[in-house]
Amino acid sequence: MSEITITFVEIGGTEKVITDAGVGENIMQVATANEVAGILGECGGGCACGTCHIYVDPDWESVVGGPNDVEDMTLDMVFETRKPNSRLCCQIELAENMDGLRVTVAPESL
Amino acid sequence: MSSSENTTQGSGCPAHLEAMALGDMSLTDPVIQAHPQAFYTKLRNEDPVHYDEKLGMWLVSRYDDIVTLLRDPKTFSDKQGYEAQYASGFFEEFKQILIEQGGGFFPDVIKSDPPEHTRIRKLMDGAFSAHRVKTLEPVITRIIADLVDQMADKADHGTVIDGVKDFAIPLTIAVICEQLGINQYDGNKISEWSEAITAQIGRMQNREDMVKNALKVCELQNFIIQQMRDREAEPKEDMISDLVHARTEDGGKLEFGEAVSLVRALIIAGNDTTATAIGNLLFILATQPQVAHQLYDNVEDERFLTRFVEELLRFAPPVRGLAKMATCDTELGSVKLPKGAHMLVLYGSGNDDESHFNCPRTFDVSRGNTGTHVAFGVGIHRCIGASLARMEIKVAARELIKRVSDITLAIPAEDVTYQKTVATHSISSLPITLKKRPAAKGAAGRIDATSAPVVS
Ligand code: HEM
Ligand code: FES
Repeated sequence: MSEITITFVEIGGTEKVITDAGVGENIMQVATANEVAGILGECGGGCACGTCHIYVDPDWESVVGGPNDVEDMTLDMVFETRKPNSRLCCQIELAENMDGLRVTVAPESL
Repeated sequence: MSSSENTTQGSGCPAHLEAMALGDMSLTDPVIQAHPQAFYTKLRNEDPVHYDEKLGMWLVSRYDDIVTLLRDPKTFSDKQGYEAQYASGFFEEFKQILIEQGGGFFPDVIKSDPPEHTRIRKLMDGAFSAHRVKTLEPVITRIIADLVDQMADKADHGTVIDGVKDFAIPLTIAVICEQLGINQYDGNKISEWSEAITAQIGRMQNREDMVKNALKVCELQNFIIQQMRDREAEPKEDMISDLVHARTEDGGKLEFGEAVSLVRALIIAGNDTTATAIGNLLFILATQPQVAHQLYDNVEDERFLTRFVEELLRFAPPVRGLAKMATCDTELGSVKLPKGAHMLVLYGSGNDDESHFNCPRTFDVSRGNTGTHVAFGVGIHRCIGASLARMEIKVAARELIKRVSDITLAIPAEDVTYQKTVATHSISSLPITLKKRPAAKGAAGRIDATSAPVVS
């Protein structure tokens, strides 16, 4: 499995660069395996909990794409912090063309 | 049975409670159980991590403390808290009855701590993902639409019906049986079994109740074991088969007893809870007509329905309190807790915390942070069935409001009865009347779009 680099900007602004993210993994798995703060993944990637909420860097939006219907509804449950570039990162499967991807962890809407 | 013996408001009006000292009150009081809001407010204001002497547990009432506790499963063990709660006071005897008559005593493997919990949970998450549940919408819609029609026919000439027993409970039982692949069942039995299990964590049963309930749990287990044996012999495309033949990540198989405990958990965990939510839906539609109108006007709007369901769960969370236990000396909300402190997490109070939710007693679909409610818990034990429950409640709300109007309580709201238990806040019986809508909004409209693919 080939590896790519992905950068997470944590809530406090700290950047975490992961250089061995596997193509085919979803971003939530990469984040939790590397203890990225703020990505909890509580439903195990079931698109049901909203605890893997990120903002996709504007430069990458077209590569990553938008949410489908089901994800859109779950995102709506965190709508206080939702932005146009919001995604639930358990629903993004890493592909070769995402090498260098940059995403920002969304604050919990507490 | 006593866990569902009914309690009315009686002398427990909020004004009366306000004058009492916290130390003189207890969650074991059925009056407080039925109408807990004033008690919760008092807890949050005066002693947010409060030792309830009679119950022998620490009540955690503030939103922030609840989230902190649930996100720290190492310090606050689910397994230990649950075991200390289970069949409280009669555990050994309970266990013996199950071994002798119920095929064995099978501890709940899902009520465990990591790494054990992680292994089990990974196995289950996929089956309940939001996408998987979305594919069930047509089937769920058909089941629920039929039930609404039956209820509407029965009630059409002014007959009083029971919104909980005639609608909410049969609905959730039908859905979970469909999920698990149980196609022949006795709904009354399943409902009794659910109550018998729930009573084990409700802290309100005496020895006699415990024995009665234990025998029902035996029946349930024997039923499950039969279902599993059938599928061992002949695998089917259903969730029981999946569990019987499941492989964990490390390549291991679930032990038979583990699988029994999971099927049991799925039958029980999703039943009373979801039925309670749907009972609450009826209660709110009956007592807050403006909410009913708003729902009717927005019934085609998926986004509205999603938010409506979340606000319903925030406003009236079915699960009141579940147990955890401190694994070391620790502190919560600046209260010192000894190792072994038995905690009761009051989800119901967290959702009512005015420091987190503005005007918490207002049913407000437009609030910005509804989704942060704790009705499903948070952290690693967050409800597995949340997507399924949301779907059932959403479809119930939609099909109901399209087909019936004028849902009205047939008794004064104060006389509505609640189950006696610390674990849930559940209406036990809800006498209502309602009218069938003429040419139901859905009958010729969008309902066809959702139910069309299903050929029964
Ligand atoms: C409105 C309906 C429901 C409510 C309010 C609800 C609420 C909850 C809560 C509060 C928890 C515990 C979280 C914690 O420990 O802090 C939980 C766990 C659980 N729920 Fe639900 N639930 C509902 C429906 C369902 C359904 C439909 C199913 C399955 C078909 C289900 C299966 C489970 C299971 C298996 C657990 C244990 C998860 C674990 O410990 O990892 N629930 N639920
Ligand atoms: S992990 Fe739950 S929605 Fe992504």
